[in-house]
Amino acid sequence: MKLLSVQDLSVQFHDRYEGQEAVSHVSFEVGPGEIVGVVGESGSGKSTGMHAILGLLPKKAEITCGSMMLEGEDITPPGPKGCGRQRKEYERKMETVRGNQIAMVFQDPLTYLNPTVKIGRQITETIRAHRKVSHAEAKERAVELLDMVGIRNSTRRMGQYPFELSGGMRQRVVIAIALACEPKLLIADEPTTALDVTVQGQILELLKKISVETGTALLYVSHDLGAVASLCRRVLVMQEGRLVEEGTVEDIFYEPKHPYTQKLLSQATGLLKLPKEQHAASILLKVEHVSKDYFDAGRLHKSEKTEAVHDVSLQIGRGETYGLVGESGCGKSTLAGMVTQMLEPTAGKISYMGDKTKLKYPVQMIFQDPYASLNPRMCVQDILEEPLLLNTSDSRGERVRKVKEMLHLVGLKEEDAKKFPRAFSGGQRQRIGIARALILEPELLVCDEPVSALDVSIQEQILCLLEEIQEKKKLSYFFISHDLNVVKRISRRMGVMYAGSLVEAGNTKDIYEDPWHPYTKALLSAVLVPDPFKARRKKGILHTEEKKMEIPLGRGCPFAPRCGYASDLCFAGKPQKYQYGEREIACFLYSEEHAGKRRSGLKMTSQI
Amino acid sequence: MLRYTCKRILTGILSLFVLVTAAFFLTRMMPGSPFQTGNVTESVLESMEEEYGLNDPPVRQYQTYLGNLLKGDLGVSFKKPGVSVSEVIGRAWPATASLGALAILAAVVVGTCLGIWQASTKNRAVKGGIFFGTILGTGIPNFVIALLLMLCFGVKLKLLPIAGLKSAANYVLPVISLAVYPASVIARLMQNTFREEMSRDYVVLAKAKGLKWRRTAVTHILKNAWIPVLNYIGPAAAFLMTGSFVVESVFTIPGLGREFVNSIANRDYTLILGLTIFMGVTVIVINLLTDLLCACLDPRVRRAYR
Repeated sequence: MKLLSVQDLSVQFHDRYEGQEAVSHVSFEVGPGEIVGVVGESGSGKSTGMHAILGLLPKKAEITCGSMMLEGEDITPPGPKGCGRQRKEYERKMETVRGNQIAMVFQDPLTYLNPTVKIGRQITETIRAHRKVSHAEAKERAVELLDMVGIRNSTRRMGQYPFELSGGMRQRVVIAIALACEPKLLIADEPTTALDVTVQGQILELLKKISVETGTALLYVSHDLGAVASLCRRVLVMQEGRLVEEGTVEDIFYEPKHPYTQKLLSQATGLLKLPKEQHAASILLKVEHVSKDYFDAGRLHKSEKTEAVHDVSLQIGRGETYGLVGESGCGKSTLAGMVTQMLEPTAGKISYMGDKTKLKYPVQMIFQDPYASLNPRMCVQDILEEPLLLNTSDSRGERVRKVKEMLHLVGLKEEDAKKFPRAFSGGQRQRIGIARALILEPELLVCDEPVSALDVSIQEQILCLLEEIQEKKKLSYFFISHDLNVVKRISRRMGVMYAGSLVEAGNTKDIYEDPWHPYTKALLSAVLVPDPFKARRKKGILHTEEKKMEIPLGRGCPFAPRCGYASDLCFAGKPQKYQYGEREIACFLYSEEHAGKRRSGLKMTSQI
Repeated sequence: MLRYTCKRILTGILSLFVLVTAAFFLTRMMPGSPFQTGNVTESVLESMEEEYGLNDPPVRQYQTYLGNLLKGDLGVSFKKPGVSVSEVIGRAWPATASLGALAILAAVVVGTCLGIWQASTKNRAVKGGIFFGTILGTGIPNFVIALLLMLCFGVKLKLLPIAGLKSAANYVLPVISLAVYPASVIARLMQNTFREEMSRDYVVLAKAKGLKWRRTAVTHILKNAWIPVLNYIGPAAAFLMTGSFVVESVFTIPGLGREFVNSIANRDYTLILGLTIFMGVTVIVINLLTDLLCACLDPRVRRAYR
């Protein structure tokens, strides 16, 4: 017997998509213990459909459903014409289903956990809502659950608040809440999208383990084909609210039938291609031994020092893209802030070698969130004009001409100048952000995660646009991202940052083909390829419990506590930078004095 | 937390000092003198001023005053010989404080309930009714409400007494007239923050857990919705606890507000200063309490205070 069967589910929002359904006539089934993936771009209705199963949609959503059965029990939501009593009855029934038989894990664990309620309380209240147990028993069960999802010190964690945990741990807590009453079906709505790559691997593995060990069926919603390939047995593909293809993971990935599935797959593999040839003629920006410390106002006079960036050196050539990868909190954005001169380095020097006649400091920045970084009350013309008003003495006609020119360059229309940001999609907004950065004709653009808020297909468009502009204007990019695929796609040279230090740097192609540093290896191994066979074989190297990156001041290699190859030496002293051709690496495995003398002329390869 | 509290108390004392200084010199800059009434001759006035030390240069007077203040002595009223300022405050404050405390309590309870009701009901009549009521409540000045209440319940219906503070029934009308404005503001604020919190993601998670709506509202939403409201309640409470001259005179209640206005009219320097200091202390203490309460509710604030 099927665990969940949904027949003919449609959802319509009256304020959005006029007349168009967000989900339209979707039917599918989930067997007991089965792992089913749901893929599609954003706006394809996959999340809306999942929310509709649990009846979590806001009241303005109009749900019509032929039938929805959970193990023979009817949980069909009342239609839009359903009267108040039916609705009340449905709500009452769902209160016993939600969290008890079907549980849900959401995308962003920070916003889905109540910031002012302790974690323990958030777990126990779920248990107590469905089971008749005492406080003490519920607490015991909560500790057990936290252990199960891999949180150590669970008793202490119970008394903590969500903001005291890292992103991965918060997601584990949400999973613990979902598992509290041993549901038969777990719906995971993009559970790893907001997390770092290495953490993403761990959460996926946890979900898989739980499903196998407890026999919980899993509906895994994601836009990330790699994650779906590694986790799921069966896949549903959704496009614009319709279910366009359904099949086993092998069928979908190796023999996609529907053109949309083929398009999705080619996009996912499209990111795996390499950047265009770039010629770095002369050095444009030189970063030399730069450090940045933050001082926390600690107890009385002892202020606590945090090293956000420690002794980083790099060079960016004219017309070149330099990629920088690292987990969140590793100091990437601090470094970007120093390159744009928004932050002052505590030590070291950043020298700009370019032409400074037009502007005092011709470096501009593109920001991550295209929704938050544009003022909603300014029209595009005003947004683009503002840098000109502040930095140049152009006449009004001149400014209008420049704005038009920029809009053309980034692929928008002239008429768009009069519109407000809300009239544009995410990708178009990012184009406006790029135009704003380019209007002062800088020579270096700092791109701080410019595509991570966008869909894969849009990502590719934006990256292509950036490459095109680079060719036309001979720009240099300092490209920061946590997404290894994106950095590989766009940059010629790259650096890997961990806990404020640059641990490996060199040619992008070389690093991807043969990563040297254990951290780079772990990062690359965590990248999921959209190929079920390869993805399942892949095992993450980082199995140790993730910790908040604690940066030991002045002592030891920052990666040593997580490194599988660490020796006593790694805890005692910081490795220097060892240079082999274009490759720079900070790891004792590659030092001459600790790993043996090397013949000159020998080609160095990975030591692990 | 303790460190934060100490810091706040120290900055409180500093601002109190600034307040005293400003008030002291401002009172001395007022035209006229405490003893200048119609039938006092020039020579008597001079000897009186000599007696009270008003002929000294203001800086000297200020030094003497500060010295006495440090000993806890607020001085003697200029207008009522033999009555110390502390006595005046001690006599007038209980009435004001009890009225103010009751009013703020009523405002908080009624305002919160109305706000939540307005935010969560689907009944349009209730929504509109509360909206209209709160607009009226913020728009009508409290003495108008006081007079209307008096006319209605006291004079026409003869249900409640309209003057003095002898029995519990005496409290009803002044408390209502004091509470209407803060209650309306709290209701509107609460409605706003509650609705905002209702659309947060954690409410969806609470629903997905299978929690009942009422439980979600009480344990999850209310705790977060309270924080912005609390920031209004602090100053409002301070305002009410220090007395409202208008309402006190309408109901002929011997409270602080009345004393204050009288003392200014009489140029009773010591009483003005004493009352100013007292109100300053009240405001500082209540604001500190609100901030500590905020920290109690919100762990993130607690961390920032550390």
